[in-house]
Amino acid sequence: MKKTPERIEIFSAEYVLGTLHGAARKRFERWMMESAKVREEVWFWEQKLGLLSLEVQEVTPPSSVWSSIERRLWQVESHGGKAQSRANHRWFWPSWSVMATAAALVMAVVLLQPSTEVSQTQLSGAIVQADTSDPLWLVSETGQDNLLKMRSVAASAAEAGKDYELWIVPENGQPLSLGIIPVGGLHEVTLTDKARQALSQSRTLAISLEPLGGSKTGQPTGPILHVAKLYEL
Amino acid sequence: MSQSDSDQNDLMRLLVAVSREDHDAFQQLYQSVSSRIFGMCLKLAGQRDLAEDALQEAFIQIWHRAREYHTDRGLPLGWMMSIARYRTLDMMRARKVRRSGGEEHLEYVEDGREGPLDESLRSAGEAQLTDCLDELSDVQRDSILLSYYKGLTHDELAEVLSSPLGTVKSWIRRGLMALKRCLEP
Repeated sequence: MKKTPERIEIFSAEYVLGTLHGAARKRFERWMMESAKVREEVWFWEQKLGLLSLEVQEVTPPSSVWSSIERRLWQVESHGGKAQSRANHRWFWPSWSVMATAAALVMAVVLLQPSTEVSQTQLSGAIVQADTSDPLWLVSETGQDNLLKMRSVAASAAEAGKDYELWIVPENGQPLSLGIIPVGGLHEVTLTDKARQALSQSRTLAISLEPLGGSKTGQPTGPILHVAKLYEL
Repeated sequence: MSQSDSDQNDLMRLLVAVSREDHDAFQQLYQSVSSRIFGMCLKLAGQRDLAEDALQEAFIQIWHRAREYHTDRGLPLGWMMSIARYRTLDMMRARKVRRSGGEEHLEYVEDGREGPLDESLRSAGEAQLTDCLDELSDVQRDSILLSYYKGLTHDELAEVLSSPLGTVKSWIRRGLMALKRCLEP
Protein backbone atom coordinates (compact mmCIF):
# COMPACT_ATOMS: atom_id res chain seq x y z
CA MET A 1 0.00 0.00 0.00
CA LYS A 2 1.38 3.39 -0.98
CA LYS A 3 2.11 5.98 1.67
CA THR A 4 -0.13 8.77 0.39
CA PRO A 5 -0.39 11.91 2.55
CA GLU A 6 -4.05 11.11 3.23
CA ARG A 7 -3.25 7.59 4.43
CA ILE A 8 -0.35 8.77 6.59
CA GLU A 9 -2.62 11.36 8.15
CA ILE A 10 -5.50 9.06 9.03
CA PHE A 11 -3.48 5.97 9.93
CA SER A 12 -1.26 8.01 12.27
CA ALA A 13 -4.28 9.38 14.07
CA GLU A 14 -5.90 5.96 14.35
CA TYR A 15 -2.62 4.38 15.43
CA VAL A 16 -2.31 6.77 18.36
CA LEU A 17 -6.01 6.54 19.17
CA GLY A 18 -5.69 2.74 19.19
CA THR A 19 -8.37 1.92 16.62
CA LEU A 20 -5.79 0.74 14.10
CA HIS A 21 -5.09 -2.84 15.06
CA GLY A 22 -4.08 -6.28 13.86
CA ALA A 23 -2.25 -6.52 10.56
CA ALA A 24 -2.93 -2.87 9.72
CA ARG A 25 -1.23 -1.77 12.94
CA LYS A 26 1.82 -3.92 12.23
CA ARG A 27 2.02 -2.60 8.65
CA PHE A 28 1.83 0.94 9.96
CA GLU A 29 4.62 0.30 12.47
CA ARG A 30 6.76 -0.63 9.50
CA TRP A 31 5.83 2.67 7.87
CA MET A 32 7.00 4.42 11.02
CA MET A 33 10.37 2.73 10.74
CA GLU A 34 10.66 3.69 7.10
CA SER A 35 9.56 7.28 7.12
CA ALA A 36 10.40 10.31 9.24
CA LYS A 37 7.26 12.02 7.95
CA VAL A 38 5.14 9.20 9.36
CA ARG A 39 6.91 9.36 12.73
CA GLU A 40 6.40 13.12 12.94
CA GLU A 41 2.72 12.69 12.24
CA VAL A 42 2.50 10.09 15.03
CA TRP A 43 4.31 12.42 17.43
CA PHE A 44 1.83 15.18 16.57
CA TRP A 45 -1.07 12.98 17.65
CA GLU A 46 0.74 11.59 20.69
CA GLN A 47 1.18 15.12 21.93
CA LYS A 48 -2.33 16.34 21.10
CA LEU A 49 -4.32 13.33 22.25
CA GLY A 50 -1.87 12.74 25.11
CA LEU A 51 -3.33 15.81 26.80
CA LEU A 52 -6.43 13.73 27.47
CA SER A 53 -4.36 11.42 29.69
CA LEU A 54 -3.53 14.32 31.99
CA GLU A 55 -7.20 14.47 32.98
CA VAL A 56 -7.20 10.94 34.33
CA GLN A 57 -7.23 10.42 38.07
CA GLU A 58 -3.99 9.17 39.62
CA VAL A 59 -3.96 5.71 41.20
CA THR A 60 -1.02 4.45 43.26
CA PRO A 61 0.18 1.11 41.91
CA PRO A 62 0.96 -1.71 44.37
CA SER A 63 4.59 -1.99 45.47
CA SER A 64 4.84 -5.39 43.78
CA VAL A 65 5.07 -3.62 40.40
CA TRP A 66 8.27 -1.82 41.34
CA SER A 67 9.71 -5.03 42.86
CA SER A 68 9.05 -6.86 39.60
CA ILE A 69 10.70 -4.10 37.57
CA GLU A 70 13.79 -4.14 39.78
CA ARG A 71 13.98 -7.90 39.62
CA ARG A 72 13.71 -7.98 35.87
CA LEU A 73 16.21 -5.23 35.26
CA TRP A 74 18.78 -5.89 37.91
CA GLN A 75 17.97 -9.27 39.41
CA VAL A 76 17.28 -7.70 42.80
CA GLU A 77 15.62 -10.35 44.97
CA SER A 78 12.55 -9.13 46.78
CA HIS A 79 11.69 -10.73 50.10
CA GLY A 80 9.92 -14.03 49.74
CA GLY A 81 11.78 -15.16 46.63
CA LYS A 82 8.95 -14.29 44.31
CA ALA A 83 11.25 -14.57 41.34
CA GLN A 84 10.41 -18.17 40.82
CA SER A 85 6.69 -17.86 41.49
CA ARG A 86 5.86 -17.12 37.88
CA ALA A 87 7.85 -20.04 36.58
CA ASN A 88 5.54 -22.53 35.02
CA HIS A 89 6.17 -26.13 34.15
CA ARG A 90 5.91 -25.95 30.41
CA TRP A 91 9.60 -26.00 29.92
CA PHE A 92 10.97 -29.25 28.55
CA TRP A 93 14.45 -30.36 27.72
CA PRO A 94 14.06 -31.89 24.24
CA SER A 95 13.18 -28.63 22.58
CA TRP A 96 16.15 -26.98 24.21
CA SER A 97 18.67 -29.39 22.73
CA VAL A 98 16.91 -29.49 19.36
CA MET A 99 16.90 -25.74 19.08
CA ALA A 100 20.47 -25.42 20.23
CA THR A 101 21.56 -27.87 17.55
CA ALA A 102 19.46 -26.17 14.94
CA ALA A 103 21.20 -22.94 15.70
CA ALA A 104 24.26 -24.58 14.11
CA LEU A 105 26.67 -22.98 16.45
CA VAL A 106 29.91 -24.36 17.70
CA MET A 107 29.97 -24.44 21.44
CA ALA A 108 33.55 -24.10 22.39
CA VAL A 109 35.07 -23.29 25.67
CA VAL A 110 38.15 -21.34 26.41
CA LEU A 111 39.78 -20.71 29.69
CA LEU A 112 39.89 -17.21 30.86
CA GLN A 113 42.70 -15.96 33.05
CA PRO A 114 41.66 -12.74 34.69
CA SER A 115 44.79 -10.99 35.84
CA THR A 116 43.72 -9.89 39.27
CA GLU A 117 41.06 -12.25 40.44
CA VAL A 118 42.49 -15.68 39.80
CA SER A 119 42.14 -16.71 43.38
CA GLN A 120 38.44 -15.86 43.48
CA THR A 121 37.38 -16.96 40.02
CA GLN A 122 35.78 -20.34 40.09
CA LEU A 123 34.05 -20.86 36.77
CA SER A 124 34.84 -19.30 33.46
CA GLY A 125 34.29 -19.80 29.79
CA ALA A 126 33.24 -18.14 26.62
CA ILE A 127 30.27 -17.94 24.35
CA VAL A 128 31.45 -18.34 20.79
CA GLN A 129 29.97 -18.56 17.34
CA ALA A 130 31.23 -20.63 14.37
CA ASP A 131 31.82 -17.80 11.92
CA THR A 132 33.34 -15.35 14.37
CA SER A 133 36.94 -15.67 15.46
CA ASP A 134 36.62 -13.75 18.70
CA PRO A 135 34.32 -15.00 21.44
CA LEU A 136 31.01 -13.14 21.70
CA TRP A 137 31.18 -12.93 25.47
CA LEU A 138 33.68 -14.00 28.08
CA VAL A 139 32.19 -15.29 31.28
CA SER A 140 33.73 -15.49 34.71
CA GLU A 141 32.34 -16.20 38.09
CA THR A 142 33.77 -14.78 41.29
CA GLY A 143 32.88 -16.96 44.20
CA GLN A 144 33.31 -14.33 46.84
CA ASP A 145 30.49 -11.95 45.88
CA ASN A 146 28.33 -14.41 43.97
CA LEU A 147 28.99 -12.35 40.88
CA LEU A 148 28.87 -13.57 37.33
CA LYS A 149 30.70 -11.26 34.95
CA MET A 150 29.98 -11.14 31.26
CA ARG A 151 32.44 -9.20 29.17
CA SER A 152 31.14 -8.53 25.71
CA VAL A 153 33.82 -8.98 23.07
CA ALA A 154 32.45 -9.64 19.59
CA ALA A 155 28.74 -9.75 20.42
CA SER A 156 26.57 -7.66 18.12
CA ALA A 157 23.34 -5.96 19.15
CA ALA A 158 20.13 -8.00 19.11
CA GLU A 159 17.75 -7.23 16.27
CA ALA A 160 15.41 -4.28 16.76
CA GLY A 161 12.80 -4.85 19.43
CA LYS A 162 14.67 -7.83 20.92
CA ASP A 163 16.97 -8.45 23.85
CA TYR A 164 19.39 -11.22 24.74
CA GLU A 165 18.46 -13.06 27.90
CA LEU A 166 20.90 -15.15 29.90
CA TRP A 167 19.86 -18.41 31.54
CA ILE A 168 21.36 -21.01 33.79
CA VAL A 169 20.46 -24.42 32.42
CA PRO A 170 20.26 -26.60 35.53
CA GLU A 171 20.82 -30.33 35.54
CA ASN A 172 17.17 -30.85 36.21
CA GLY A 173 14.17 -28.61 35.86
CA GLN A 174 13.59 -25.28 34.21
CA PRO A 175 16.15 -22.67 33.22
CA LEU A 176 16.72 -19.83 35.65
CA SER A 177 16.74 -16.37 34.16
CA LEU A 178 19.73 -14.16 34.89
CA GLY A 179 18.07 -11.26 33.15
CA ILE A 180 18.76 -9.56 29.88
CA ILE A 181 22.36 -8.90 28.93
CA PRO A 182 23.55 -5.77 27.18
CA VAL A 183 26.03 -5.75 24.34
CA GLY A 184 29.19 -3.80 25.02
CA GLY A 185 31.25 -3.46 28.16
CA LEU A 186 31.16 -5.48 31.32
CA HIS A 187 27.87 -6.74 32.71
CA GLU A 188 27.61 -8.17 36.19
CA VAL A 189 24.87 -10.38 37.54
CA THR A 190 24.52 -11.16 41.22
CA LEU A 191 23.63 -14.81 41.60
CA THR A 192 21.16 -15.89 44.24
CA ASP A 193 22.22 -18.86 46.32
CA LYS A 194 19.86 -21.04 44.36
CA ALA A 195 21.22 -19.83 41.03
CA ARG A 196 24.79 -20.27 42.17
CA GLN A 197 24.11 -23.80 43.30
CA ALA A 198 22.41 -24.69 40.01
CA LEU A 199 25.30 -23.22 38.03
CA SER A 200 27.99 -24.98 40.02
CA GLN A 201 26.24 -28.29 39.33
CA SER A 202 25.39 -27.92 35.64
CA ARG A 203 28.00 -25.32 34.63
CA THR A 204 25.80 -24.55 31.67
CA LEU A 205 24.63 -21.15 30.47
CA ALA A 206 22.42 -20.32 27.54
CA ILE A 207 21.36 -17.18 25.73
CA SER A 208 17.98 -16.80 24.07
CA LEU A 209 16.49 -14.06 21.95
CA GLU A 210 13.51 -12.50 23.72
CA PRO A 211 11.15 -9.56 23.33
CA LEU A 212 12.45 -6.22 24.57
CA GLY A 213 12.86 -6.36 28.34
CA GLY A 214 13.13 -10.13 28.40
CA SER A 215 10.82 -13.13 28.45
CA LYS A 216 7.44 -12.31 29.93
CA THR A 217 6.71 -15.87 31.03
CA GLY A 218 9.78 -16.45 33.19
CA GLN A 219 10.94 -19.11 30.72
CA PRO A 220 12.69 -18.81 27.36
CA THR A 221 10.22 -18.00 24.60
CA GLY A 222 12.53 -17.17 21.71
CA PRO A 223 15.18 -19.21 19.89
CA ILE A 224 18.13 -20.45 21.92
CA LEU A 225 21.10 -18.77 20.27
CA HIS A 226 23.97 -20.07 22.33
CA VAL A 227 24.70 -22.72 24.91
CA ALA A 228 28.03 -22.69 26.72
CA LYS A 229 29.62 -24.91 29.27
CA LEU A 230 31.82 -23.27 31.90
CA TYR A 231 35.03 -24.75 33.19
CA GLU A 232 36.48 -24.66 36.65
CA LEU A 233 39.76 -22.91 37.00
CA MET B 1 -1.90 23.29 34.09
CA SER B 2 -1.35 19.73 35.10
CA GLN B 3 2.41 19.67 35.04
CA SER B 4 4.42 22.76 35.81
CA ASP B 5 7.56 23.59 33.87
CA SER B 6 9.71 22.78 36.87
CA ASP B 7 8.09 19.34 37.11
CA GLN B 8 8.87 18.74 33.47
CA ASN B 9 12.44 19.93 33.97
CA ASP B 10 12.83 17.49 36.85
CA LEU B 11 11.51 14.65 34.70
CA MET B 12 13.85 15.64 31.90
CA ARG B 13 16.80 15.60 34.28
CA LEU B 14 15.79 12.16 35.57
CA LEU B 15 15.29 10.80 32.07
CA VAL B 16 18.77 11.94 31.04
CA ALA B 17 20.20 10.21 34.12
CA VAL B 18 18.21 7.05 33.31
CA SER B 19 19.68 7.04 29.81
CA ARG B 20 23.05 6.78 31.58
CA GLU B 21 21.74 3.76 33.49
CA ASP B 22 21.38 5.57 36.82
CA HIS B 23 19.32 3.20 38.99
CA ASP B 24 18.45 5.79 41.64
CA ALA B 25 17.21 8.23 39.03
CA PHE B 26 15.05 5.50 37.56
CA GLN B 27 13.49 4.83 40.94
CA GLN B 28 12.83 8.54 41.45
CA LEU B 29 11.29 8.74 38.01
CA TYR B 30 9.03 5.80 38.85
CA GLN B 31 8.00 7.42 42.11
CA SER B 32 7.23 10.70 40.37
CA VAL B 33 5.04 9.46 37.56
CA SER B 34 3.87 5.89 38.23
CA SER B 35 0.56 6.96 39.84
CA ARG B 36 -0.38 9.13 36.88
CA ILE B 37 0.58 6.47 34.40
CA PHE B 38 -1.09 3.69 36.38
CA GLY B 39 -4.32 5.71 36.60
CA MET B 40 -4.33 5.94 32.81
CA CYS B 41 -3.52 2.23 32.31
CA LEU B 42 -6.27 1.25 34.75
CA LYS B 43 -8.86 3.46 33.13
CA LEU B 44 -7.93 2.14 29.70
CA ALA B 45 -7.79 -1.55 30.59
CA GLY B 46 -10.52 -1.66 33.23
CA GLN B 47 -8.60 -4.56 34.83
CA ARG B 48 -6.16 -4.19 37.67
CA ASP B 49 -3.88 -7.12 36.87
CA LEU B 50 -3.55 -6.13 33.24
CA ALA B 51 -2.89 -2.51 34.18
CA GLU B 52 -0.17 -3.61 36.63
CA ASP B 53 1.48 -5.79 33.98
CA ALA B 54 1.29 -2.97 31.43
CA LEU B 55 2.83 -0.51 33.90
CA GLN B 56 5.67 -2.94 34.52
CA GLU B 57 6.30 -3.47 30.81
CA ALA B 58 6.15 0.27 30.20
CA PHE B 59 8.86 1.00 32.76
CA ILE B 60 11.07 -1.79 31.45
CA GLN B 61 10.80 -0.07 28.07
CA ILE B 62 11.38 3.38 29.53
CA TRP B 63 14.60 2.07 31.11
CA HIS B 64 15.82 0.65 27.82
CA ARG B 65 14.61 3.46 25.58
CA ALA B 66 15.37 6.57 27.65
CA ARG B 67 18.14 7.37 25.19
CA GLU B 68 15.62 7.54 22.35
CA TYR B 69 13.65 10.35 23.95
CA HIS B 70 13.92 13.78 22.39
CA THR B 71 11.80 16.89 22.69
CA ASP B 72 10.16 16.49 19.26
CA ARG B 73 8.29 13.62 20.87
CA GLY B 74 6.64 15.92 23.38
CA LEU B 75 7.16 16.47 27.08
CA PRO B 76 8.80 13.65 29.06
CA LEU B 77 5.58 12.73 30.85
CA GLY B 78 3.66 12.54 27.57
CA TRP B 79 6.32 10.34 26.02
CA MET B 80 6.17 7.93 28.95
CA MET B 81 2.36 7.99 28.92
CA SER B 82 2.40 7.05 25.23
CA ILE B 83 4.67 4.08 25.86
CA ALA B 84 2.41 2.89 28.66
CA ARG B 85 -0.71 3.42 26.56
CA TYR B 86 0.64 1.32 23.68
CA ARG B 87 1.70 -1.46 26.06
CA THR B 88 -1.76 -1.47 27.64
CA LEU B 89 -3.48 -1.58 24.24
CA ASP B 90 -1.18 -4.40 23.09
CA MET B 91 -2.00 -6.44 26.17
CA MET B 92 -5.73 -5.77 25.89
CA ARG B 93 -5.67 -7.02 22.31
CA ALA B 94 -3.40 -9.98 23.12
CA ARG B 95 -5.62 -11.04 26.01
CA LYS B 96 -8.76 -10.28 24.02
CA VAL B 97 -10.20 -7.93 26.64
CA ARG B 98 -13.71 -6.88 25.62
CA ARG B 99 -14.59 -3.35 26.57
CA SER B 100 -17.92 -1.66 26.58
CA GLY B 101 -18.83 1.96 27.11
CA GLY B 102 -20.46 1.18 30.44
CA GLU B 103 -22.26 3.68 32.62
CA GLU B 104 -19.19 5.87 32.76
CA HIS B 105 -19.62 6.72 29.11
CA LEU B 106 -21.13 10.15 29.72
CA GLU B 107 -18.61 11.08 32.35
CA TYR B 108 -15.80 10.62 29.82
CA VAL B 109 -17.46 12.86 27.33
CA GLU B 110 -17.80 15.53 29.99
CA ASP B 111 -14.14 15.09 30.91
CA GLY B 112 -12.98 16.46 27.63
CA ARG B 113 -14.84 19.71 28.04
CA GLU B 114 -14.90 20.67 31.69
CA GLY B 115 -12.61 18.31 33.52
CA PRO B 116 -11.70 18.41 37.17
CA LEU B 117 -9.30 21.29 36.84
CA ASP B 118 -10.09 24.94 36.86
CA GLU B 119 -10.11 26.29 33.33
CA SER B 120 -7.63 29.05 34.16
CA LEU B 121 -5.06 26.53 35.37
CA ARG B 122 -5.06 24.53 32.19
CA SER B 123 -2.32 24.70 29.67
CA ALA B 124 -2.99 26.42 26.38
CA GLY B 125 -2.73 23.02 24.70
CA GLU B 126 -5.44 21.48 26.82
CA ALA B 127 -7.74 24.44 26.31
CA GLN B 128 -7.20 24.24 22.56
CA LEU B 129 -7.91 20.51 22.50
CA THR B 130 -11.06 21.00 24.52
CA ASP B 131 -12.25 23.76 22.19
CA CYS B 132 -11.53 21.66 19.13
CA LEU B 133 -13.31 18.62 20.57
CA ASP B 134 -16.27 20.92 21.16
CA GLU B 135 -16.46 21.65 17.45
CA LEU B 136 -17.01 17.98 16.59
CA SER B 137 -20.43 16.42 16.34
CA ASP B 138 -21.52 14.53 19.47
CA VAL B 139 -21.08 11.11 17.86
CA GLN B 140 -17.64 11.97 16.51
CA ARG B 141 -16.49 13.22 19.90
CA ASP B 142 -18.01 10.25 21.76
CA SER B 143 -16.35 7.76 19.41
CA ILE B 144 -12.94 9.37 19.76
CA LEU B 145 -13.08 9.73 23.54
CA LEU B 146 -14.38 6.18 24.04
CA SER B 147 -11.54 4.82 21.93
CA TYR B 148 -8.98 6.96 23.67
CA TYR B 149 -10.00 6.37 27.27
CA LYS B 150 -11.28 2.81 27.06
CA GLY B 151 -9.41 1.36 24.11
CA LEU B 152 -12.60 0.44 22.24
CA THR B 153 -12.06 -1.08 18.82
CA HIS B 154 -14.23 -0.19 15.83
CA ASP B 155 -16.31 -3.33 16.47
CA GLU B 156 -16.82 -2.52 20.14
CA LEU B 157 -17.74 1.07 19.31
CA ALA B 158 -20.32 -0.13 16.81
CA GLU B 159 -21.86 -2.23 19.56
CA VAL B 160 -21.75 0.45 22.23
CA LEU B 161 -23.12 3.15 19.95
CA SER B 162 -25.62 0.74 18.33
CA SER B 163 -24.52 1.77 14.87
CA PRO B 164 -23.18 -0.02 11.79
CA LEU B 165 -19.44 -0.59 11.66
CA GLY B 166 -18.95 1.51 8.52
CA THR B 167 -20.75 4.43 10.10
CA VAL B 168 -18.61 4.28 13.23
CA LYS B 169 -15.41 4.11 11.20
CA SER B 170 -16.47 7.16 9.28
CA TRP B 171 -17.31 9.10 12.48
CA ILE B 172 -13.83 8.36 13.82
CA ARG B 173 -12.03 9.27 10.62
CA ARG B 174 -13.97 12.42 9.95
CA GLY B 175 -13.77 13.39 13.60
CA LEU B 176 -10.01 12.95 13.69
CA MET B 177 -9.49 14.89 10.48
CA ALA B 178 -11.71 17.73 11.69
CA LEU B 179 -9.78 17.72 14.95
CA LYS B 180 -6.50 17.93 13.07
CA ARG B 181 -7.67 20.90 10.98
CA CYS B 182 -8.67 22.66 14.16
CA LEU B 183 -5.45 21.84 16.05
CA GLU B 184 -3.00 22.61 13.29
CA PRO B 185 -1.18 25.91 13.60
